Amino acid sequence: MTIDLAQFHDAFFEESFEAIDSMEAALLKLDVGAPDKELINTIFRVAHSIKGGSATFGFSEIASFTHSLETMLDELRSGTMQVSPAISDLLLKSVDVMRAMLRAVQLKQPIDAQKVSDLQFDLELMIAQKKTVPQKPDSAPPAAAAAPAAPAAPAAVASNAPATGTQARAAVPAVQPAGGNAESAAELVHWRIAFRPYPELFARGNDPLRMLRELARLGELQVQADLEPLPAFAALEPQSCYLAWSLELHGAVSESAIRQVFEWAEGDCDLQVDRLQPVLSATTASQPSSNADAQAPTMTAPPAAAPSASVITLPTAATASTPNVSGAVPAAAASAAPAPSAVSKDEVRTELPMPTAPDSGSIRVSVEKIDELMNTVGELVITQAMLSQLSTGLEGTVAEKLRGGLAQLERNMRELQESVMRVRMLPINTVFSRFPRMVRDLAQRLGKQIELKMTGEQTELDKTVLEKIGDPLVHLIRNSIDHGIESPAARAAAGKPPAGTVHLDACHRGGNIAVEVSDDGGGLDKDRILAKARDRGLVGPEDVLSDEQVYDLIFMPGFSTVDKTTDVSGRGVGMDVVRRNVKELGGKIELRSQRGKGSKCIITLPLTLAIVDGQSVAVGSETYIVPLVSIVESMQLRSSSISRLSGQGEVFSFRGYYLPIVRLYEVFGVEPRTRALDEGLVVVAEGEGHQRIGLFVDDLLGQQQVVIKSLETNYGHIEGVSGATILGDGSVALILDVPGLIRALSTRAAA
Amino acid sequence: MKKRKKTAIAGTARSGHAARRPANGRPPAATARSRAATGREGPFTLGGECTVSEAAELKSRLGRLIRVRRPVTLDIGGVERIDTAAMQIIAAFVRDRATQGLVVQWQGSSGALSSAARLLGLAPLLKLPA
Repeated sequence: MTIDLAQFHDAFFEESFEAIDSMEAALLKLDVGAPDKELINTIFRVAHSIKGGSATFGFSEIASFTHSLETMLDELRSGTMQVSPAISDLLLKSVDVMRAMLRAVQLKQPIDAQKVSDLQFDLELMIAQKKTVPQKPDSAPPAAAAAPAAPAAPAAVASNAPATGTQARAAVPAVQPAGGNAESAAELVHWRIAFRPYPELFARGNDPLRMLRELARLGELQVQADLEPLPAFAALEPQSCYLAWSLELHGAVSESAIRQVFEWAEGDCDLQVDRLQPVLSATTASQPSSNADAQAPTMTAPPAAAPSASVITLPTAATASTPNVSGAVPAAAASAAPAPSAVSKDEVRTELPMPTAPDSGSIRVSVEKIDELMNTVGELVITQAMLSQLSTGLEGTVAEKLRGGLAQLERNMRELQESVMRVRMLPINTVFSRFPRMVRDLAQRLGKQIELKMTGEQTELDKTVLEKIGDPLVHLIRNSIDHGIESPAARAAAGKPPAGTVHLDACHRGGNIAVEVSDDGGGLDKDRILAKARDRGLVGPEDVLSDEQVYDLIFMPGFSTVDKTTDVSGRGVGMDVVRRNVKELGGKIELRSQRGKGSKCIITLPLTLAIVDGQSVAVGSETYIVPLVSIVESMQLRSSSISRLSGQGEVFSFRGYYLPIVRLYEVFGVEPRTRALDEGLVVVAEGEGHQRIGLFVDDLLGQQQVVIKSLETNYGHIEGVSGATILGDGSVALILDVPGLIRALSTRAAA
Repeated sequence: MKKRKKTAIAGTARSGHAARRPANGRPPAATARSRAATGREGPFTLGGECTVSEAAELKSRLGRLIRVRRPVTLDIGGVERIDTAAMQIIAAFVRDRATQGLVVQWQGSSGALSSAARLLGLAPLLKLPA
């Protein structure tokens, strides 16, 4: 039986890229001098799983490089090497190289071999140099011995695996989710564990004591040490492990959880985990002969997550309720951790099954499936609304009961809708995680000291929104660093600490999410912006502008106050693009600044693009939805406040400004209830950059959440309309796109 | 001075690890020292950090006491961190002395050491004070 490994490539790449991201994030958190052990473990785990995966798939360059990296990480882990700035630079460079290699392989392009081998040389040099420092006598020879073994990818697998079947199974877990074993975790199980380390276990930085301590945490642990192999004191070699243990563990523990404890000892010990009672399930029945078989049970599950273009990881019920705080990084690492590197003979013999992180309990589902679900739920909401409306016309006791049932249905529907929406939500951390690296590099390049503070990383929002918010944030952070934060000298002169702070914050505000980028730099120079704007004729020489209006100038395309463009920013494109992107997402952007104190940029975004909070308004027999985010207020006009301006049509006075009136019935060509402006209502709506208009409607109907149906996919794009929705009575209502409406209006006025 | 000695021992161990030669190669010097140390009085004090990196030193220090006829007292009060490598050395020390009817006594107590003994299943052998 042959299995085409290529079908798993997509999943491998996707998981590896995710894993590299988490590795990078962990690297950036690594403190020079006093590194967090857990972080190094996370990094190591990622490197290890990428190595294993790439070896399985025959990407030998990646496997070989990652091996060198792993060796260094191992040194760091065991404390024989200290994390120095040089090493952390080297590790970050390695991350880049790994990413580049993966991308090259993914696109079937040649790998930049020179770059890779240069860096690999640096890594090995660094490892070799530290070897002159004593201790850890024997980590060098095994590392060297293992090195050639690792890259010997598919050929080695084939020749070592007892049967092709095993080989096939070994490949499957590359995409296997952490399902399987999780189920057995609920019941109390009695496990017998035989743990027999090889002598070199200590030298690899592993300590059985730590593992046993972890096991003891999982359940009730009975330990029986085997002192037999312990030689006479004189013959004892201080750094070799002689002891072995038979353990019995009672508890609600899954096999994978146990194996995970021994994850680090992988390849350095014999491990046998047997379930003693009560049921000899398929999972544990096949323990015997070799460990290559032992890992089979965890791998027989079908590759549930077949390669798919875009996949999001969603937590199952177990973890969904808890704010996935610790989950984010480790889960990503663990889900990418599979692919036991069943490579060399040694490794096949002692390979532990892939770490199926028991805590992450998540599955991968393709986005299309979720969209389908979302759509169906949307239809359901409409049907439910229709039923409710029908029921109001009925009378009698049965109708009463029906209404009760429908009310229940409505509640359930809302919950269902929210749950489905939550499925699409990911913590904003997935976007934030790329910034520490960027900030670090930029700061280095610009010779500034910058501290990046991030809060609210766990705030969740829709994946689609998430994907589109990344670039605007990059621009804003670059701006903060390049223009906002001053050089250390200038800061010192201003009496500020030399290191500037860029603060990235996300939080829920009402039905929206607010993302703030703030810095404690010099703030915006209003006079300079104004001068520049006057220079370019954007503002008349006599015009007096409010702060808000001045800051708005920054968002003008091509507007830049910088005399010299750097490679970081200053071309004047950024902010324009930022605002456009944010608007496209139905969000708002706001700038606040205090000279000398810093500036703050607040982006308000809807939680999802699939549902919008809208105000339904009536125009004749039609209903239109105005997104609530666009609405400033609604009012009834007095005829005295209305005037006609030549060239601009009707305007009304609103807080000292004159705003144009848009008669919606004219725009959409419907017969209104009234044409008299003082008989209907005006909804003051805001488009881009505080451009406001008054929408003249017959009446306000109510606020409701509506499920957006794309007009583009079902019909075609209409200026001024962002989509449609189906109302409770089954009729279709158009959702207004206020910025689009304003644009359409101004082009019409100009024409 | 002490530092350099440790370096030398570790260095030997590294170069010959694969064949486990150093264990046989090193003892002459160590034995000479241990004989010299036989007459020493007072408890043997374990350091605060008893880990694999100090294991070689721990072994050579304990090695001087392995044949001491009088009861040997190990002061464990200062042990803050201990790993399996060090526990293994202590276990071998206690066991070898026990088989020759020689006594090892404990002085002080250490949470780290007690919990390590319990977790590693060495508590019955070491018979630490409660």
